[in-house]
Amino acid sequence: MAMEVEVSVTGLNFPFLQPVRRRFGPDALFFEAGNIERQLLAKQVTLDITDKEKQQIQSMEDWGSSEVYCPIVGCGAHLLSLEDFEDHYIARHMASCSVCSQVYPTSHLLSIHVSEAHDSFFQAKVARGYAMYECLVEGCDAKLKSYKNRQQHMVDKHKFPSSFEFFKKSRPSKKQRQKTQRKQAVHKTEDASTAMQVDQENIDSLVSAVSRLSTSESPSSISFGRRHTRGLTFVPRAVQKEKRPGQSSEQPKR
Amino acid sequence: MADENSTPHKRGPLKSSVGSAVVQRRRDHAVTVRKERREALMRTKRLCRVGVSSDDADVTIDADMATDEEQSVLEDQTLKSIEELNLAIAYQGKGAMQKRVNALRELRRLLSKSEYPPVEAALKAGAMPTLVHCLSFGSPDEQLLETAWCLTNIAAGKPEETKALLPALPLLIAHMGEKSSLPVAEQCAWALGNVAGEGEELRDVLLSQGALQPLARMMLPDKGSTVRTAAWALSNLIKGHAKAATELIRLDGVLDAILRHLKRGDEELATEVAWVVVYLTALSNVATSMLAKSDLLQILVDRLASSNSLELLIPVLRSLGNLVAGDSYVTDNVLVAGNEITVRVIQVMIKCLSSEHRVLKKESAWALSNVAAGSVEHKKLIHSSGAVSILIRLLSTSPFDIRKEVAYVLGNLSVAPSESGRPVLIVDHLVSLVGGGCLSGFTDLVRSADIEAARLGLQFLELVLRGMPNGEGPKLVEAEDGIEAMERFQFHENEELRSMANQLVDKYFGEEYGLDA
Repeated sequence: MAMEVEVSVTGLNFPFLQPVRRRFGPDALFFEAGNIERQLLAKQVTLDITDKEKQQIQSMEDWGSSEVYCPIVGCGAHLLSLEDFEDHYIARHMASCSVCSQVYPTSHLLSIHVSEAHDSFFQAKVARGYAMYECLVEGCDAKLKSYKNRQQHMVDKHKFPSSFEFFKKSRPSKKQRQKTQRKQAVHKTEDASTAMQVDQENIDSLVSAVSRLSTSESPSSISFGRRHTRGLTFVPRAVQKEKRPGQSSEQPKR
Repeated sequence: MADENSTPHKRGPLKSSVGSAVVQRRRDHAVTVRKERREALMRTKRLCRVGVSSDDADVTIDADMATDEEQSVLEDQTLKSIEELNLAIAYQGKGAMQKRVNALRELRRLLSKSEYPPVEAALKAGAMPTLVHCLSFGSPDEQLLETAWCLTNIAAGKPEETKALLPALPLLIAHMGEKSSLPVAEQCAWALGNVAGEGEELRDVLLSQGALQPLARMMLPDKGSTVRTAAWALSNLIKGHAKAATELIRLDGVLDAILRHLKRGDEELATEVAWVVVYLTALSNVATSMLAKSDLLQILVDRLASSNSLELLIPVLRSLGNLVAGDSYVTDNVLVAGNEITVRVIQVMIKCLSSEHRVLKKESAWALSNVAAGSVEHKKLIHSSGAVSILIRLLSTSPFDIRKEVAYVLGNLSVAPSESGRPVLIVDHLVSLVGGGCLSGFTDLVRSADIEAARLGLQFLELVLRGMPNGEGPKLVEAEDGIEAMERFQFHENEELRSMANQLVDKYFGEEYGLDA
């Protein structure tokens, strides 16, 4: 099934949908269910197949062809069916931050995020020169002194793309956006970061609750998705304080 | 027979502990039996329980599970009957022929009635050389018939048992000749059908030994069970073999017979012939081309419209699907958008889409997607046919494999090929599909673990984001949690999907998104 990759005037390098005619060989997996049905129907009388037995056989064949491995980097969990995959994903790859709702596919990444984004204790240690920024790859114990240094470590040691930005402000929901826009209209010089409250108690309980076993050992070089650089990536609070209070646009940027 | 299955506890409290052990053993036995039984059911071979001439009225089908004791009794009887047979062959005196036939008949009965015929025991006792001897030229018809029947059932089981028939093959093929009596020829065809159903190796042997022509000839008459058995055996024979498929369609009278049977034969015959057509259209371009230029398409459509037999509909639908997928002659010349046949084809595909049977839904969606891959006129025809609402409903409710095929149909309906190579978006269709509620189904596909489906889903989302009028696309996608679905790819191991998803999120949900909300 070849789809042409087109660089359009919009600058996207995207394989646009094309109409395509598909042909299958007689032994293709695609036809298996029909082939099985043929045999079952043909032998229904001679071999006295009950409906229940038929269902059992058909469902066994279903599992055989729809087994799947979780495609999230570092996971590789074996799942019996595609329906199972969705359950698995929700259970294992939707660790979400209770403060800012950002979602991460592993609890390891979530806990790093929580420390770096919502923990003033973390920021305090950074300010005193401790190496607090952990490497993102599980199993690598490197700790770096600054966000930028950690970024460089990911590029140098783990071949991350240099445009990769792990942290970004979460895009709030439509409701939140509207709320903030309204607030903006009323309080023009408001500096409060509604999305940035540090609730120490919550953080502690969250972090301790995030005690899942990490997913299987990740490969030594993981490449995360590329993202175009955004105008304003997340900047740690320590740096943010230097900004002028007039820059009150709470419009979350990506 | 029912007595053997009655629960032991009826015998009395003292025996109850023994009873439960027996019950447990039966249960364990039942689990292993189920696996064997499943394999037996999956095979393309067929056990012959009631003979082709149906003279023998006393064949009772014993489908109960044989216990160990019963099985060993059966095996003893089998050994005995083979001894009898050998004696009968050695005997030269009066009534020798009847003795032989009686012994063969006894062996045949033992091999026909139970759920697990004692094939292994028979082979161990040297049945094969004896049976080959009984196939000698000049043997009486009754003898040939019973022998071929025994061989049929020996070949109906495990691979090594089927392979044991190798020494008998040339004779079985010979006895399908035009001078043979019809029941004998048919029983030989049945045995060879089982052999061909075993696998490629044996198929090659049969083809080299010249099995194709006599079988094809047996398919030419108008009616009779022989025609049906021959068609079934042929479908097993040409199954993996493109050359054989091409050779078959070129034989005199075969094309005509195929069309005739599909058009006028009863459903059982039409079913077997349809499977022959399935393999012809899937394997041989020559055959597909010849069939495309014939009346076949019309005949297939008529069958699809008039029949409700799942057994028949499956191969007929698949043949239609193969024709549409394979030969551009069909889509360019026959299924031209103005022709009535095109409308009818779409109608019968809709009928199958609306069926309750999973296979029919899936394969008709596939076939329809190939029609939708045609010209803009084809797409318009499908779009206005009433198929769309059915498809969108299937996209939300059916099992995954059906949903994927439906997605191909809807995708193909939304874009048209153009000379420049860049596909043209058909905005009307896109708007009505999205309006009909297809977006949630596509987002589900984006979330699935199947790479192909996720890719297709992302491609459709791109159309929506780019092509919905008034820039509505992004809002609509967001409403279906499409952003979240696309963001899942950030940590996905497939680089292409990551790139696709990221491009869309960056382009359509970037900094400016929601600013003018």
